[in-house]
Amino acid sequence: MGKQVVIVGGGVAGMQAALSLKARGAEPVIVERGDRLGGKVAGWHKLFPTFTPVEDVLGPMLQRVQEAGIEIHTGAEVEALVDGGVAVKGGGRFSGDATVICSGFDVFDARRKEEYGYGIYDNVITTVDLERMFNEGHVATVQGTAPHRVAFLHCVGSRDEKVGAHHCSKVCCITGVKQAIEMKKLFPAAEIYNFYMDIRMFGPGYEELYRRAQLEYNINFVRGRISEASQAMGGKVQIKAEDTLIGRPLKMTVDMLVLIVGMKGGASNASYAAGGLVVADNGFMQPLDPFCGNVLSGKEGIFYAGAVTAPKNIGDSLNEGSAVADRVAEYLKL
Amino acid sequence: MPQFGFSISQPRAVNLDTNDFVPAEKLLRELPELQSCIACGSCTATCTAGNLTSFNFRKVHTLVRRGEYREAYEQMDKCMLCGKCRLVCPRGINTRAVVMKIKRELGDYQR
Amino acid sequence: MNYYDHFVIPFVVGTAFMFAVIVWKWGRWLWKLPVADKKAIVRGVFSLDTLRAIREVVYESLLHRKIFRVNPVLGYMHMSLAFGWFLLIAVGWIEASVVLGTGTPLHAHVFFRYFDTAQHTGWNPFAFIMDLLLLMVLSGVALAWFKRMRSRALGMKRTTKHVFIDRVALTALWLIFPLRLVSESFAAAIKHNGGFLTGGLGSLIAATMDSAVIETLNSLAWWLYSFALASFFVAMPFSRYMHIFTEVPLIFLRRYRLHSTAREKSFDNFQIQACSRCGICIDPCQLQNVLNINNVQSVYFLRDRRYGKLDEKVADNCLMCGLCESRCPVGIELNTLRLNSRQKSIDTPALTRYDYLQGIDRSSGNGKVGYFAGCMTLLTPTVLRSMERIFEAAGEGVWWADRDGGSCCGRPLKLSGEVNAAERIMARNKELFAKHGITTLVTSCPICLKVFREDYNLEGIEVIHHTEYILRLVHAGRLSVEATGQEFTYHDPCELGRGSGIYEEPRELIRMAGRLVEPEHNRREALCCGSSLANLVIDDSQQSKIGSAVTSELEATGAATIVTACPLCKKALARDASVRVADISQVVAENLRVAS
Repeated sequence: MGKQVVIVGGGVAGMQAALSLKARGAEPVIVERGDRLGGKVAGWHKLFPTFTPVEDVLGPMLQRVQEAGIEIHTGAEVEALVDGGVAVKGGGRFSGDATVICSGFDVFDARRKEEYGYGIYDNVITTVDLERMFNEGHVATVQGTAPHRVAFLHCVGSRDEKVGAHHCSKVCCITGVKQAIEMKKLFPAAEIYNFYMDIRMFGPGYEELYRRAQLEYNINFVRGRISEASQAMGGKVQIKAEDTLIGRPLKMTVDMLVLIVGMKGGASNASYAAGGLVVADNGFMQPLDPFCGNVLSGKEGIFYAGAVTAPKNIGDSLNEGSAVADRVAEYLKL
Repeated sequence: MPQFGFSISQPRAVNLDTNDFVPAEKLLRELPELQSCIACGSCTATCTAGNLTSFNFRKVHTLVRRGEYREAYEQMDKCMLCGKCRLVCPRGINTRAVVMKIKRELGDYQR
Repeated sequence: MNYYDHFVIPFVVGTAFMFAVIVWKWGRWLWKLPVADKKAIVRGVFSLDTLRAIREVVYESLLHRKIFRVNPVLGYMHMSLAFGWFLLIAVGWIEASVVLGTGTPLHAHVFFRYFDTAQHTGWNPFAFIMDLLLLMVLSGVALAWFKRMRSRALGMKRTTKHVFIDRVALTALWLIFPLRLVSESFAAAIKHNGGFLTGGLGSLIAATMDSAVIETLNSLAWWLYSFALASFFVAMPFSRYMHIFTEVPLIFLRRYRLHSTAREKSFDNFQIQACSRCGICIDPCQLQNVLNINNVQSVYFLRDRRYGKLDEKVADNCLMCGLCESRCPVGIELNTLRLNSRQKSIDTPALTRYDYLQGIDRSSGNGKVGYFAGCMTLLTPTVLRSMERIFEAAGEGVWWADRDGGSCCGRPLKLSGEVNAAERIMARNKELFAKHGITTLVTSCPICLKVFREDYNLEGIEVIHHTEYILRLVHAGRLSVEATGQEFTYHDPCELGRGSGIYEEPRELIRMAGRLVEPEHNRREALCCGSSLANLVIDDSQQSKIGSAVTSELEATGAATIVTACPLCKKALARDASVRVADISQVVAENLRVAS
């Protein structure tokens, strides 16, 4: 029997960490608060920048996890870090020789930006809602009509002092571009507008996708942040922004306003802090350093992987899943 | 619409070699957060006065920061100080203080 | 008889100087009053208001009843000094008149024990009373001393930091009574005219010292006493102690309905110089107790303004929440004074400002009831939606003044000191209201409410806040609220509560919908959310710090929903709240009982 490693969270980072550790002879145990593995990715439809269906990524991974015989506990929400493991809600403990925290992030609650009317007006939705619609195969306004005009608003809950978020959520720019294209594909006659402050295309193929969105899909990019929305006739939404490149206020009525919600530190981070770990100012967990110590917590036997330490895309989270296995193996002398 | 910051007799370029930055620096010393403006335009979008006139808060304070003070006072005088811009500013800039400060400092500047 | 000795010169000169300065100051301020104020005084003098003023002077200037209410120890301290000294003067006058006869000069009364001509045998009731009074004053001085050293012990976390002239006057004041004790004791050693205190000490002196030494020291003590009095009297009109006399005319003028206004006038001087710098305004100030800003509170603002050293950073750094004003024992109109000093420093003629508003009308709908959302409400769509539902449920025809954007009410400009410009906006809005023929104007924003009520003079239009309006609908049976088991807590917005006196209406509505749990500070004592438009200085992080302190207090009630009635407060509280923050209109709209 190999050394046990508790893996908190069964998203892509957690699964990859478990697979890599298993391959090195350890016995990973995934403790997942949801009722299935896959994390936030499982709620998505297609992935940027290649429009790869989620099941093409998650499916094989889940299969490998199953084949490797990794121990999985779903419906187990970690409540506290304890000596040599974790305690879960409703009693029960998981112990191991090391703990890897891969509990990811929380999605920003768009209701906190009241001026955008999420939860108040019809047809103001978030990127998460839109992915769900894509998955359900039915994208329509609340009134049941096909949208003719759609506006995407970047940076909702990111780079916003008013909600206590100074950080950039990194993946929303490309998500907004991806979803804009998907909407255009679904509704070729529709006008799609993306309202942005900066477009940050950090990954391979991202900038290229942005270019295609402009050239091939005629997505309109307006440089200006929407200040507020109001309900117009027939369930439409009126939005106000400044077109900063023109220098004049802009008003438009859309059938659907999609708020591109950012990432924030997970609510469970507070319980890690109580267990002696450090939460950074941005609400994410603070790794030992951003370089060689990026998966180390600074506390012996506790490691991080994935979006628990900062907004990350799937590729980065997978890489950290592998990287953390390396460091755990080193620590456990596997 | 008046072309703010531009007229036939004036050179077109904002000349950072010759512009006088003393008033701009004074403004930034007192309200350092103004430097964090990311020009998102939320202030101008929501602006009560900006939706009725050519007043563009973002543009005026940016010009001031570049050492372009012409008409800044007259422009800021259109502001009603209602404070909506402060509520929507993602950088938490004390926009009302910026308006007041620009008016106080530049009231008699090159007028 | 002459009753003269050289040592009375400092006292006589000092007293004459003091009264000359005071008469000069008051005379000038009164002279410069606007005609309307002068007329109000003439009308008031021969009315019952004068009698009421006299009663108030006794209660406040002598007994310090209001300070007693805030803090009994502080109250005693002020009373013992003010009332004690007053009685010393009054009883001393009677005693001197009895012994020396009438028509004696002032100094003979004040230094009576030195000039005492009576032969004393046995118990002297006057001396007994005077000693008792002196003891009372001395106990006040001792408390004042102790307060300087350890203000916390007297229930004040912070005490005022004083300027030089105050320190001179304060030192002189503290010396006056101990020196009086010493002087009168020496006099008693010679003339045996003391009571239990001075007489006792006098006997001790007589028993231990040579009579020549006693004579010399006696003379010296009276000189020092006279000097102390003179120093105090000379410094007094320029120090905070000017409040002793100024509070009296202030009380009368206030009874004659004189008020400060958005523009400076000479009446302000009576208020400014009536401030005793007691510092009661410091502790409740949230800029002080949350942000640790220690130089902007009303006491410092009035002081700086009085000495002509008012910095705009001090004048502008105030939430104008009115918490200090509600505590001020002198009842100074602190918010108005703050406002008019801003007006003075920044207001410019506004000849053509806001002409662009001319003819602008973005209103919609028709009805006798007008709804003015206010700028901030446009950023809190829940309030707008709730009001829509309420109007609809009540079947009210509504004229929407600014739902699709419109003008500001003008109050933010006024609060910033630009009173002239604000009036131009107001005039435009008034035209708009008149044009649409409304009879009731409902607003969701307490900031707008206050300016509509106080500055607009909207004849034929009743201005009410939406809390009042909704409650009326309920009382009239046009709306009913479903009771739920929910628990609510309520945050009083400054402009609605202290500003407009609306405390009960929102509470009554909340109780219809569920249970109300009050936070620690409520009603007149309620805290400010920190986002006040009146403060032009504090930055975003400071605003949010004040807001989260208030939010935690509200959350500590355990209520599931924080209710408020101001869009700005709602935004400020929601920033950091872990529970739901809702406007009162939202609570009603969500729990409307469907007509069966």
